[in-house]
Amino acid sequence: MKEIILENICKVYGKNEIIKNLNFSIKPGEKIILLGASGCGKSTTLRMVAGLDDISSGNLYMDGQRVNDIVSGKRDISMVFQNYALYPHMTVADNICYGLKIQKLTDLEIKSRLQAVVKMLELYGLEDRKPKDLSGGQRQRVALARAVVKRSGVLLLDEPLSNLDAQLRVHARKELMKIHQAYSQTFIYVTHDQVEAMTLADRVAVLNKGRLEVIDTPQNVYNNPANVFTAKFIGSPGSNIWPAHYQDGYVHIGKQKVKLPEFWNAYIGQKNQREFYLGIRPEHMKIYHEQKNNTFIGIIKYIETYGNQCGVYFMVEGCEGIILCDNFSLKPGQKIYFSLDSKKIHLFSKKNENNIGYPEAYYDNLYKYQSV
Amino acid sequence: MKISGNIKYHIVLIAALFISLMPIIFAISTSFKELSEAYSNVLGIIPIKPTLDNYLRAFNGLPLGRIIYNTFIVAAVVTIFKIGTSLLAAYAFVYFKFPGKNILYFLLISTIFIPFTITMIPNYLLVAQMGLRNNIIGVILPQLSDATGIFLIRQAMRLIPTSLIEAAQLEQASHLQILSGIVLPLIRPAVISTSIMFFINAWNEYVWPVLILKDTSNYTLPLALQLFISSEGGTDFSMAMAVAVITMIIPLGLYLVFQRYIINTFTSSGIKG
Repeated sequence: MKEIILENICKVYGKNEIIKNLNFSIKPGEKIILLGASGCGKSTTLRMVAGLDDISSGNLYMDGQRVNDIVSGKRDISMVFQNYALYPHMTVADNICYGLKIQKLTDLEIKSRLQAVVKMLELYGLEDRKPKDLSGGQRQRVALARAVVKRSGVLLLDEPLSNLDAQLRVHARKELMKIHQAYSQTFIYVTHDQVEAMTLADRVAVLNKGRLEVIDTPQNVYNNPANVFTAKFIGSPGSNIWPAHYQDGYVHIGKQKVKLPEFWNAYIGQKNQREFYLGIRPEHMKIYHEQKNNTFIGIIKYIETYGNQCGVYFMVEGCEGIILCDNFSLKPGQKIYFSLDSKKIHLFSKKNENNIGYPEAYYDNLYKYQSV
Repeated sequence: MKISGNIKYHIVLIAALFISLMPIIFAISTSFKELSEAYSNVLGIIPIKPTLDNYLRAFNGLPLGRIIYNTFIVAAVVTIFKIGTSLLAAYAFVYFKFPGKNILYFLLISTIFIPFTITMIPNYLLVAQMGLRNNIIGVILPQLSDATGIFLIRQAMRLIPTSLIEAAQLEQASHLQILSGIVLPLIRPAVISTSIMFFINAWNEYVWPVLILKDTSNYTLPLALQLFISSEGGTDFSMAMAVAVITMIIPLGLYLVFQRYIINTFTSSGIKG
């Protein structure tokens, strides 16, 4: 268990700024997920924490101590690599115990730790095999075992499940939770998979082009996206984002408008803005066959089916949108009428794309929200 | 593989094989012939009256044990040192970050293209001044390091996924531990094939030893061979061939011992993706 603080961390390769001014802290024993598209700098961040990449500027603290110049071996961390990095010439047992032997632990201690981890990760009978004789899932567990057996304060995981198939992933996620329960290490976990992020994280840090967009609990990241990027990036499919205009209790998209409930009016009334981005999740909209009060009109472009639901892509006033529904009879080209769940609407500032916040009366009893 | 379809290529290959094996077969066969038969039955592969006489004469007439020992020491010391320096230098070039690395590497590699004849005279003067003429140390010294080895071993090391090295660094393994415990086992095939190349080169080296070594007892095998086929040494073919067979049999034996280690370990690595 270690507390980690990133203070103004930057990473520059040549003239490219890969990481721009990262600031956040990780509580001891917390599970932090770094989530982002490929190339957003999440792996680089992890490697800087690991000490495998230099920090260009800024300070990295572990338990209060600045560790920028401390080599990775002395940072009390262990790491699971995306390609597992198992030593091909060593048996499973040798792979797992390599670090312990370097630390010159007693044979007795090494053996007992090996047995514990073999039991926890169900590696019985594989101890004498070489990595080439293991399946993908087994290799992944050996890599995990090697990181866990060290009992370090921090466990860094670089897309550890990305080489597994969907079913193994579910199983591996459970194992990760088991490991965290057993050793309560501080987890820093890099992934581009939202499901992993949502299921494993205490807090999710969303990175975009080397910047931290938000760091918050999975529920908040999903339900209260702090900015346009988070709203679009989180969720599959992500939120609809449309340029919108507020006037006299109505929200306008292009020439169409719907009435907002009273609690919004009071809230926006205090603000000096009338131009927004309107964000709404595809599952928080409803399709009707005829015009009703407070509906927009759209034309269906194409339809994706997910088995239990379908995603209806449509155009409204020149903007694309998507609605999730279970009506499979819709056809492209058809006109639809849809309404928005006004309690689930988010309005983002046009200037900085940040969430303008919420009518407090409504959200106070849900949870406290802090606009970033 | 279907052989019959490519029969014409196989005929070419068999002819090439025959041409390259012919001198070896000739040498082995002649070494078991009497001198008179060596002249009368030049192309006969099986000697009419096989004899070990040539080998016995070679061992009695020359300090052959001593010469074999000299050759082995030169080849072994040169091989071990070259591999050692190549491993350390290649490791530094692959895994260390230091200013001027690329320029230094370029300079080192360009020494491969300097012909031996250019460095021969400066080396000779240096060795002579050190008082190492007529001494196998003088033969060994200028050969102890070589950019070819650095190049070959660096190429092999670059194939090792960086994450393996990083994983070991996270375990606080020292560079020497990483080199011996992780890198060396993974590039063993490259190290062995490079060693074989170095050993054979040093074993067969002629020009440099001939400059340095004067007494027969300090000779290496290629020099001893010269005793029988030079203008002064006469034309005792069958004995020359006996020495030739001894010269080639030792590296050949070593190759047979080590060739089973030359398998590509990377086909069986635990790395995916």
